[in-house]
Amino acid sequence: MTLESLKKTPTKGPPPRGESPATAGGTTLPEPPPSAEKRLLRHGMMPHMLCPGCGHGIVFEAMLRALASRYEQLDDVAFVAGIGCSSRVVGYIDACTLHTTHGRPLTFATGLKLARPELKVVVVTGDGDGLSIGGNHLIHAARRNVDLTCVLFNNEIYGMTGGQLAPTTIPGAYTSTSPQGNAESPFDAARLVEAAGATYVARAQSYRTREFEDLFLRALDHKGFSFVEVMTDCTEYFGRTNRLGNGADLLFSQARVEPAIDADLAGRSTLKEVRSTPVRPVLEMGVLHESSRPTLEESMKLSGAGS
Amino acid sequence: MTAAQVAAAAPSELQAPPVSGNLVVAGVGGQGVILASNLISQVLLDAGYDVKKSEVHGMSQRGGTVVSHVRFGPEVHSVMLEPGSADWIVAFEWEEGLRALSYLKPDGVALVSTEQRIPPAAMLDHRERALAYPGLGDVPPGVVAVDTFAVAGDAAVGAPVVAQTVLLGALSTLLPFPSEAWQSAIGTWVPPKALTANLTAFERGRASGARVAAGESGVVAGVSPNGSAAHESRSSRAEAGGIATAPEGAVERLVPAVHIERSWCKGCDICVAVCPEKCLVLDKFDVAVFAHPQRCTGCGLCAWLCPDLAIDVGLVRDGGAGGRSS
Repeated sequence: MTLESLKKTPTKGPPPRGESPATAGGTTLPEPPPSAEKRLLRHGMMPHMLCPGCGHGIVFEAMLRALASRYEQLDDVAFVAGIGCSSRVVGYIDACTLHTTHGRPLTFATGLKLARPELKVVVVTGDGDGLSIGGNHLIHAARRNVDLTCVLFNNEIYGMTGGQLAPTTIPGAYTSTSPQGNAESPFDAARLVEAAGATYVARAQSYRTREFEDLFLRALDHKGFSFVEVMTDCTEYFGRTNRLGNGADLLFSQARVEPAIDADLAGRSTLKEVRSTPVRPVLEMGVLHESSRPTLEESMKLSGAGS
Repeated sequence: MTAAQVAAAAPSELQAPPVSGNLVVAGVGGQGVILASNLISQVLLDAGYDVKKSEVHGMSQRGGTVVSHVRFGPEVHSVMLEPGSADWIVAFEWEEGLRALSYLKPDGVALVSTEQRIPPAAMLDHRERALAYPGLGDVPPGVVAVDTFAVAGDAAVGAPVVAQTVLLGALSTLLPFPSEAWQSAIGTWVPPKALTANLTAFERGRASGARVAAGESGVVAGVSPNGSAAHESRSSRAEAGGIATAPEGAVERLVPAVHIERSWCKGCDICVAVCPEKCLVLDKFDVAVFAHPQRCTGCGLCAWLCPDLAIDVGLVRDGGAGGRSS
């Protein structure tokens, strides 16, 4: 790409589409139109900074798709994020976004929600951000039952800071701070938040994007603290350090607990068999807990609460 | 009632009724093959024949083949036909008609609709035409190709399945039963709300059947009461269905296509690994390329699982490159 063409790239709207490189037997195909979720992107920021094959990107796109099915524009939705790879994705959403300090997105979001109860507030956080540094804020946000939606991208490692051990790293896994293998037991984030008083708790996988979209939309509809944990994969630090293959290998390893999918994947020569290395235990997916009790805004009798 | 009695009851302008006969009704799921074979059986039963009917419809819900055998005579023992034993074939879909031709007797007549239902297996190569759908240029002997939509005209507007009743009208001219017998059977089997349209299509088919009976081969079209307006009526049908009409001689289709934003793709290989039809490859720059569009089924897995939001999947107009030559 020349400097001249870079200058012509608009900051709003998708990149221009030139002649299609896709050819079949000499015939040039027209291009399909951009997907609906693309209108919710800050195009000047794209492409995003996530590594090749990062599971966060898949979840990010699924989140946008779910939002595009519900909202024309995101003027009444606020995204609050902390620090980390997961938290960086809010910078690419064309909405009211707030990039805050490490571990504290839920505190900023609580303040935002109490000041502007009519806003739909979504917190995007990661396992290091939300469970370690911000673990205390997480359980108290759940206890207060603030009407927030918290999406926790769980990739079991500190990706952005260099692959250090996270409170969700599975036993035996190698990280830059556990060269002998992890000796600690991990958090079950969903059960932790449920015990702390969240009224909607769900868990999803980056492999099953449609399921995540459903769970995320239900979380948006839920009144009270709704928490969605998404299992994603860190390819560069977790995948490489544990020799788990590339992004595709990691992604499909999520599906290998199902015999039918496993049998299909086994026939693909490009994929690596990743069961010999430490992998996640089989986790429950879907809605894990759903209940109803007064939100903090309702208890404080704030106007606009419950909208 | 014996066949001889049937002969006595038949109108004098028709030929003598056969003692026995075999029919094959073929098509794809949803075209009314079973209904049509029920209807034919009803006419035959009313005429006093012993009738046995069988049907194969396993994959019909997914647009698969549906075949029904109808046998009639003084007494029928077996429900199935042997190849080369069918007097008449009625096929609602062009390729299904050709597929059923092995059942036709050397002097039999096959009434085949020119309607195309491209099956999913053929869709995989629909742009390069490596798996060619049979064209109309080579109509085999014994086959009468009927442009059912053109003949049905406005009767099939909004309900394309009605167009196939035209073939029953054409068939009725080959069998020695009065028109009333057919109309009565249509009244028995067709839902009341679709009765008028079906009877109209039947009459138009019966009118076109005169040319069938005269042994005229080739495509029967435009014999409907509105005559030369048949082509216009087909266009209006397409417009009523929200489908843009194709220019003469070209069949325009919507085909799946994938757009990959090269400046966003980071070459993670996920789309290449996930594509069930292996449409995508990484080029020398480690950027995904939509290399085999003819295999794409538009499932969208690559777009769902692309971490870089670089893929859009959608339907585009095939620019006539794969258009069928007629």
